[in-house]
Amino acid sequence: MSPQKRVADKLLWETLGRWKRSSPELDRIQFLKTVPFFDKLSNRQLKSVSDIMFERTYETDESIFEEGQPGAALFLILDGKIAIEIRRDTSTTRLAVLEKGAFFGELALLDEAPRSANARALERTRTLALYRNDLNGLIDRDAQTACQIYRSLASTIGDRLRSTNELVQMQTPADTAGPG
Amino acid sequence: MSNAQDFEEKERERKARRRVFYLIFATLVLISGGFLIWKLRSLILPIIVGALLAFLFRPVKDRFKLRWLPHELQVLCSFAAIGVVLFFAFNTLRKHIPDEEQKLEFKVRLKYKLNQKYRQLVAKSPEGKSNVVAPFIEKEVGPLMDKINQAVELSPEERDLFIKYCAGYNGKPPIQNKFFDYFRANQNTMKYVVPEKASAHPAAPQAAVAATPTQPPAAEEGANLEGKLSVWVLAPLIFVFLGFDNGQIRRFFISLVPNRYFELSLTVLDRLDDAIGRYLRGTLIECFLVGLTLAVGLIILGIPAGIAVAIGVVSGLLNAVPFLGTISALVIGVSYALIAENIRPLIPGLNPNDLALYVLILVVLTHVLDDLVFQPFVLGSAANVHPLVVVIAIIGGFLIMGLWGMLFAIPAVVVVKTVVSTFFKELKDYRII
Repeated sequence: MSPQKRVADKLLWETLGRWKRSSPELDRIQFLKTVPFFDKLSNRQLKSVSDIMFERTYETDESIFEEGQPGAALFLILDGKIAIEIRRDTSTTRLAVLEKGAFFGELALLDEAPRSANARALERTRTLALYRNDLNGLIDRDAQTACQIYRSLASTIGDRLRSTNELVQMQTPADTAGPG
Repeated sequence: MSNAQDFEEKERERKARRRVFYLIFATLVLISGGFLIWKLRSLILPIIVGALLAFLFRPVKDRFKLRWLPHELQVLCSFAAIGVVLFFAFNTLRKHIPDEEQKLEFKVRLKYKLNQKYRQLVAKSPEGKSNVVAPFIEKEVGPLMDKINQAVELSPEERDLFIKYCAGYNGKPPIQNKFFDYFRANQNTMKYVVPEKASAHPAAPQAAVAATPTQPPAAEEGANLEGKLSVWVLAPLIFVFLGFDNGQIRRFFISLVPNRYFELSLTVLDRLDDAIGRYLRGTLIECFLVGLTLAVGLIILGIPAGIAVAIGVVSGLLNAVPFLGTISALVIGVSYALIAENIRPLIPGLNPNDLALYVLILVVLTHVLDDLVFQPFVLGSAANVHPLVVVIAIIGGFLIMGLWGMLFAIPAVVVVKTVVSTFFKELKDYRII
């Protein structure tokens, strides 16, 4: 192989590599790797998940979902800030502010139960949405990946249940804790 | 403070401008879309057929969704599987499609047997007495028989060809002698209704002469046919492109939906996909079951397997249009039963001479079975459409698009019904209305 051809080949592969590295799909996979929800998935599995996700951009103050609406998708924050709030009569209580890498609305992956809080963008926010039935479809095509996601989901719900229990125990007076 | 007010004012103006822009854009899209649909309306049917086929065969594609197989190969494998099944199906069916000789023989037999049965019906008893209904049959069925005789009459070229086949022609063995006897008997068949003198109206030839110039020339007909065929090339193309789609089309449409309706649109699309898929695939299974029941029933009645399967396939496919499957099974089955010979029913005790009656009972039984078992079992509530709506939809479909309209009337009703009910339910659930 002539030196010129070798240089041309090298240039071609470098260009291709750069193009591949900078593709939005690869960026998205890189991002998913950093999310604890998907940290046990391989690159191939992350690609399967990435293929079924929808990217949505919300403007400041725009609602993502409202309390009482049927849940259909889990949301991951690509960048921006989200407030999780509940409204009671005239007052609004802010439960949490979530930032890049956080996820919310995960219970929608289980069933169609109504959302328990409102989610609102505090600034221009990009999210990735994972629709419940697309995840169900993944069970047929790639059961291992879907199973891994459901495990992460179960673990997240378990953690939240434990912390809720602790909170309830802390707020419950000792004399009403049960028969001694 | 003034800066904030200025910003708010600008935002308000921007919103107003955006609203006007969207309104103008939507109007332009509607007008140009309507114009394009009207101009390209001949493409609608092939596109619908291609899309429906892709929709029907999607489960086959899903079967090949293996994680180690690239998407393109998955699609190619599913196409190959569909191709192999269709090839064998058509190959099997082709054997039962009558050739030129069989068609001529069939016409001769049909004319002979029908006239024989008709004459038996209106025959006088040996004492010279005719039965009570004979005059009525002669009056009502006589003109129909004349028309049928005219329709199944061999043309002079066909007659010459039949005589050649009787002696053995084109590498085929000679036709049985009895069919030649039928052919000769057919030559002597007279008209049952003598035309009244008044009907020989002098205006008739004029009408015939006047009608001649309106006939399109052969070249024009050929061009029309070519145009229609080239339009139908779209159907397989749409089928292939939708086959290769890996959710990109859905993704594109969802990307157009405003954020407020994002989850709603996902849910509605999914419900529609599920309901329409269940209906279409259910209909396909129902058609298969009806065809199978008819074919097995006809074989039990002693009709040759090839003919029974052919009647089953045709009636099963036409069963996609309510009533049409039953009517076609009745017409084809009874017609064949009338001309059938050497029939040996598999059930002992059945009289082969009453085959037409047995076929009639079989078709009625199949229809009842379809209504009471197949439809509720296979389709469930997927096609819960009122019978009156079914009738109106079929007639409306026929008036708008002819036979194709009849075929697509019920699926269209089911789609509209599902869209409306799902959309309103979800809009309420999402507290949008």
